[in-house]
Amino acid sequence: MSRDRMADLAGFLDAVRDELGLDLTDEQAAADFDLLPDWDSVHLLRMVMFLERETGRSVPVSSVLQARSMREVHALVSADGTDAR
Amino acid sequence: MTGALQELRALHGAGRLAAGYPEVAPLLARLTDAPDRPGTQTADDLTRCGSLLARLRPDDVLAHHPHTPVVTVAVTGHSATAQLTDPLVAELARHGLLARLVTGDHGAYLRDLTDADSELHRCHPELTVCVLGSEAVLEQLPLPWTVADVEQASQRLMGRLESAAAAHGTHGSGVLVLTTLPLPRRLTHQIVDQHQRALLGAVWREFNARLLRLTAAHAALAVVDLDPLIADTGPADDARLALYTRSAFSPALFAALAREAVHVLRARRGMTKKCLVLDLDNTLWHGVLGEDGPDGIECGSTLRGEPYAAVQRLAKQLAAQGVLLAVSSKNDPGPVQDVLRDHPDMTLRAGDFVSVQAHWEPKDTALRAIADGLGIAVDALVFADDTAAERALVRRRLPGATVVPLGAEPAWHAARLLADGWFDTPHVTDDDRARTGRYQEAAARVQLRESIGSYEDYLRELEVVVRISPPGRHELHRMSQLSLRTNQFNLTGERVPPERISELSADPGRRLLAVRVRDRYGDSGLVGAVFAHHGPDGLHIDNMLLSCRALARGVEHGCMTAVLSHARARGLPAVHARYRATRANGRSRGFYPSLGFVPHTPADGEDLLFRHDLADIPAVPGHLTVEADFEGDTDEP
Repeated sequence: MSRDRMADLAGFLDAVRDELGLDLTDEQAAADFDLLPDWDSVHLLRMVMFLERETGRSVPVSSVLQARSMREVHALVSADGTDAR
Repeated sequence: MTGALQELRALHGAGRLAAGYPEVAPLLARLTDAPDRPGTQTADDLTRCGSLLARLRPDDVLAHHPHTPVVTVAVTGHSATAQLTDPLVAELARHGLLARLVTGDHGAYLRDLTDADSELHRCHPELTVCVLGSEAVLEQLPLPWTVADVEQASQRLMGRLESAAAAHGTHGSGVLVLTTLPLPRRLTHQIVDQHQRALLGAVWREFNARLLRLTAAHAALAVVDLDPLIADTGPADDARLALYTRSAFSPALFAALAREAVHVLRARRGMTKKCLVLDLDNTLWHGVLGEDGPDGIECGSTLRGEPYAAVQRLAKQLAAQGVLLAVSSKNDPGPVQDVLRDHPDMTLRAGDFVSVQAHWEPKDTALRAIADGLGIAVDALVFADDTAAERALVRRRLPGATVVPLGAEPAWHAARLLADGWFDTPHVTDDDRARTGRYQEAAARVQLRESIGSYEDYLRELEVVVRISPPGRHELHRMSQLSLRTNQFNLTGERVPPERISELSADPGRRLLAVRVRDRYGDSGLVGAVFAHHGPDGLHIDNMLLSCRALARGVEHGCMTAVLSHARARGLPAVHARYRATRANGRSRGFYPSLGFVPHTPADGEDLLFRHDLADIPAVPGHLTVEADFEGDTDEP
């Protein structure tokens, strides 16, 4: 159910907005994390935990920690996570 | 779905979080009123709130609400500490405290704690939390390593932590919170010799035990034992986050640690609650007395009764340590009295309660009556009830009172009651252990007062004896506690935490006086304190405290009269005093003038300053016997 919700980028961004309390626009999905207002490295850790809880699968943690944008994270955790970058 | 979280997000989204800050604590109280949800989910939501609150600038909140209490909190650690921030900010906000956070340099915790001039020390934090994971020992090990290596490494770390605790005592401020070290399986099982593995467990526990015992020698040190927290939260860490990000604990353990650290702070800020108000039906027993009758309720060793028996045993255990117990129940009073007196399965009896409010009035009325009867503020009450509507009513009408949510599963009641350490205190004193008995003596006084015509006759009948002298060493914890618990007659509102009281007592320039009161109904114990120092222009009274238990008997006047007479006998030119208004001490504003003190300029900031020229000292009230020994050289009677 949640997995379906996050299959497309828009649903994923919605979920992340809620979880992290970030005011992300769709355009910011591709922006480097450092350019996001209120970005904090703790957000990535929280995202790892959140994504595992929501999808019921383990997340490739080291790859997520190296990702530079929401779009990259989404690509890593969506079903065919091969098109990152 | 948690409405409170959505509302907080809406405030944040509208940019109104600073302006709406007074709404935050009530929102968080609603968010935590979720007794049937797993605690970890509520903790997750609190962390989400903390993430929003941590982005607030304290100065923005203060610009809107200048009287918001601010706490400077320092976080340092051997490993990464960033994940502690959000839960810590949220826990502080639950208690109405606005966090000003200072973070130490990564990995430089020993310098942060021991260097007198470190950034951390310069900010004078009221609370310093130092996060230590097992890596603090592991990184000291050679490869390959033996259990003997672990023993040596842990001893070296212990030496450093002892130095850090000592340095904190010398030039630190506030309280330092350390944690015990979790022992991960991925460490123990690297030793294949099963006997040696057992020994490793012993060595590790010896380190933790020594760390916990350090608190006996350092009054400003608290050590949070992580074992019971991990038993609740599950895994202490996530191997991936530990290796990739040097994060020593799981998010759930960070949240639990934040909660405990704030309990330590709360106890030292005088925020310890005094009275636990319990509902009866489905809180202290299974069933509804009015419908099921005394034979239908269960609180003994039956399947349904056992969880309630556990709640009653817990309440009895708390009461033995100074927590006052009271009842607020929608019931007819007669049947409740009968159950408290006669029901064979009850652990708690009428004598265990200082007030039983069994009637059909709204519960906020009952809680007000309890607080008024005890002479304490509604803020000092903790109200536990299994009915959500009653809890919502009390939260709305008595926002200062604390509400503990009890859910549909009674087996969780005891854990819910203990979840927030509402009654935690730095030290339990003899006074705490005698407290319920003293409130019952107070009830006997009320009976006398009702049977005797004038108040003066009543006071004379009481035969009050006041004994003033410097506190003995064994009384210092009580002196500190009195400053933490006393609000109405606390003439400056100042709190003196345990380590500070020892310093004051050892300082030859300071005068500490303990005030003890007894009367025909019993010994009220150490109920008052005077803090003073000598100056070239006479004696300066820095603060005076009197427990509400001893108010309205002229004790404060007797004490101050004795102090003035003593000053005159020693030929001092004057006695100076100061008063600072707080939320609770308004009624004591006229105390110094009533004894002939006159306002003395210049005023010092928020303080009112007074001076007494000792020419005209009022007499000790006639109903009091005052035994004063200001030099402390008379033997105890």
